[in-house]
Amino acid sequence: MESTTQKNKFIVPIGPQHPALKEPGHFEFTVDGEIVTSASVRLGYVHRGIEKGAESRSWTQNLYLVERVCGICSNIHGTALALGVEKLAGVTAPPRAQAIRVLVAELERIHSHMLWLGVAAHEGGFDTLFMYSWRDRETVMDLLESLTGNRVNYSANVIGGVKYDVTPELADSIRRGIDFLEERSRFYLKVVTSDETFLGRTRNVGTMTKEQALELGAVGPTARASGVTMDLRVDAPYGGYVDFPVSAVVEQDGDLAARFVVRIKELFESIRVIREILDHLPEGELTARVPRRIPPNEAIIRLEAPRGELFYFLKSNGTDQPERLKIRTPSLCNWASVMQLAVGHKLADMPMMLVGIDPCFSCNDRLFTIKKPGVGRTNSEEVWTWEDLRLYGIDYYRRRAI
Amino acid sequence: MADIQIPTRSPWQRVLDKVRLWSLVNSPWVIHYNSGSCNGCDIEILATLTPRYDLERFGVKLQGSPRHADVLICTGPVTRQSRDRLLRIYEQMPEPKLVMAVGSCGLSGGAFRGCYNIVGSIDEVLPVSAYVPGCPPRPEAIINGVVQLLGSLKGN
Amino acid sequence: MDNSTLLQSAQSLLSPMTERFETPEPEQLNAYLPVEHLLEAVKAVLSAGEFYLATITGLDVPPADGQEGQIELLYHFCCGKVVVTLRTRVNYADPAAPSVCGLIPMATLYEREVMELFGVKLTGTPVTDKLLLPDDWPDGVYPLRKSFKGFENGKPVISEGA
Repeated sequence: MESTTQKNKFIVPIGPQHPALKEPGHFEFTVDGEIVTSASVRLGYVHRGIEKGAESRSWTQNLYLVERVCGICSNIHGTALALGVEKLAGVTAPPRAQAIRVLVAELERIHSHMLWLGVAAHEGGFDTLFMYSWRDRETVMDLLESLTGNRVNYSANVIGGVKYDVTPELADSIRRGIDFLEERSRFYLKVVTSDETFLGRTRNVGTMTKEQALELGAVGPTARASGVTMDLRVDAPYGGYVDFPVSAVVEQDGDLAARFVVRIKELFESIRVIREILDHLPEGELTARVPRRIPPNEAIIRLEAPRGELFYFLKSNGTDQPERLKIRTPSLCNWASVMQLAVGHKLADMPMMLVGIDPCFSCNDRLFTIKKPGVGRTNSEEVWTWEDLRLYGIDYYRRRAI
Repeated sequence: MADIQIPTRSPWQRVLDKVRLWSLVNSPWVIHYNSGSCNGCDIEILATLTPRYDLERFGVKLQGSPRHADVLICTGPVTRQSRDRLLRIYEQMPEPKLVMAVGSCGLSGGAFRGCYNIVGSIDEVLPVSAYVPGCPPRPEAIINGVVQLLGSLKGN
Repeated sequence: MDNSTLLQSAQSLLSPMTERFETPEPEQLNAYLPVEHLLEAVKAVLSAGEFYLATITGLDVPPADGQEGQIELLYHFCCGKVVVTLRTRVNYADPAAPSVCGLIPMATLYEREVMELFGVKLTGTPVTDKLLLPDDWPDGVYPLRKSFKGFENGKPVISEGA
């Protein structure tokens, strides 16, 4: 990611205030006419110092800290820490707890993908789809709330197991909820694969071949849309995924449309696994005893978050506080891939491409500048907001009757 | 280059002409800024626009430019990097302007209190008129916060 | 190639450069090596199988018992279930290690993070702009070292020792 300081380039910084993305970040695009010639990203706006903060909190307090790395994928961070500490202590959570963890993780995946669908549609100017998908997403939020008590930041994990149990009544309401969601997901799949306006913005845009995906280090649905079969739930099953396996959803086209299709098909897979868990929930305890002081040890935990591979490295030192907690989130890898990919594409495609990797700024933390080479020796720097870029994209395609 | 639409005579502008500076309760335009939060509050704020909660029926419009905003809804413990941008956005807003801090992070630093890269609560940087606690607060709580803020102005 | 074959292949390719090996889990390999052999070791791992660099972790080992402080760098390479971690140490006095960006271009993000948070110099890395820390962060202050204790009255507090 180079911040280029070439002469005769226009720079359009897009400030850290994004009504659509809800997260601050700073990108720099150098454009030549309509085509992007280089791109870079500046992160740091959401950098809070969590890894350092974790060293002065106990392991249990860290569960609450780490859940707030990202509000959208908060449960997977909590699960990673809980699994990590259990590994450090040499304890395994009971089977019922592991199954409930998978249940909550898959419900979270559904909520995250639907959230993304709405935001991505909004980026493309397709506000109707945004409203529909967020309305339907409320079903999943209700289910999570009846299970855990909160819509976001559920705190379902404790070190050693889970806090909340699934009663038969709750299981029935979850089944009803996901039946409804399955029907709606079929509708969304139809929309993204057949709506001409939508396809005009997504087909053959931001295409990443399989080789590029491997070289650029893309992970998660972004990589799976390019034919890379990389899904940690399949390659390295952890926790309850050993008993309730999932299959990876892979598409070959590698363009933006494929990324939409992968995520919607993953909804079906999540719904299937949830049904299976509800039908075969193992009996037993909800937690296992874990000592307060964790003996000195190291552990590596890799999980499949909705956005890709989440990597945790934990080191304990015999006290009840961590020695080191290292978090590497999936969006960081995907940022690198999209910034490379942006070169050669039209500026109008930038909002859709950036949102196509399902960026989670707070998982990383990151802004826009657009540089335009001037005529003769004039440099032009334009300050654009994200809204400007988004409206520019919508307008560009509207003029071409898409 | 921004084509942000500005209606020429919106209801609140007519009211504003007639009454005191603080009467913007009829249709406040709101801008949202994330000063370093985990996004939990932000997605709940965005959820208030969706059909189930529908903030717009109260006349509140969420839009993108600070120059047309009355209320700044701010989330997050202010990170050192965001601090200047937050101030700049506040300065770009025309008077009268209000700030609403949403979420525990905005009130006290929340879960991140003590972390090295955050300033702390939003009221260390800007004058805050309304606080909505929660981690994150439900959309109903956010709407309640907005309505109460406007109601308190009506009372003046 | 199955997991144990992959691990054995990685171990045999790495053994000329490695001081010692550890297998904390059946599918994990830790290879402790001196910083001079880092680049060769990275080449060895990449040729052992379809490994990708997951991240670079920094560990601060503060000065103790007369030993000077060191920073340990862990390079985690993953392939399916198998994780091979290359571990090397650099001293506070001269915290330099070679950049692996020549072999793995995408490592630049991880290297930038380790450089600004720990104060390690990765020679040859293409970009040295700050990634996460703000522009007005004071120079020479490395937040993830144990000696950094936060800010007081706007000034960084750095304790001697740990």
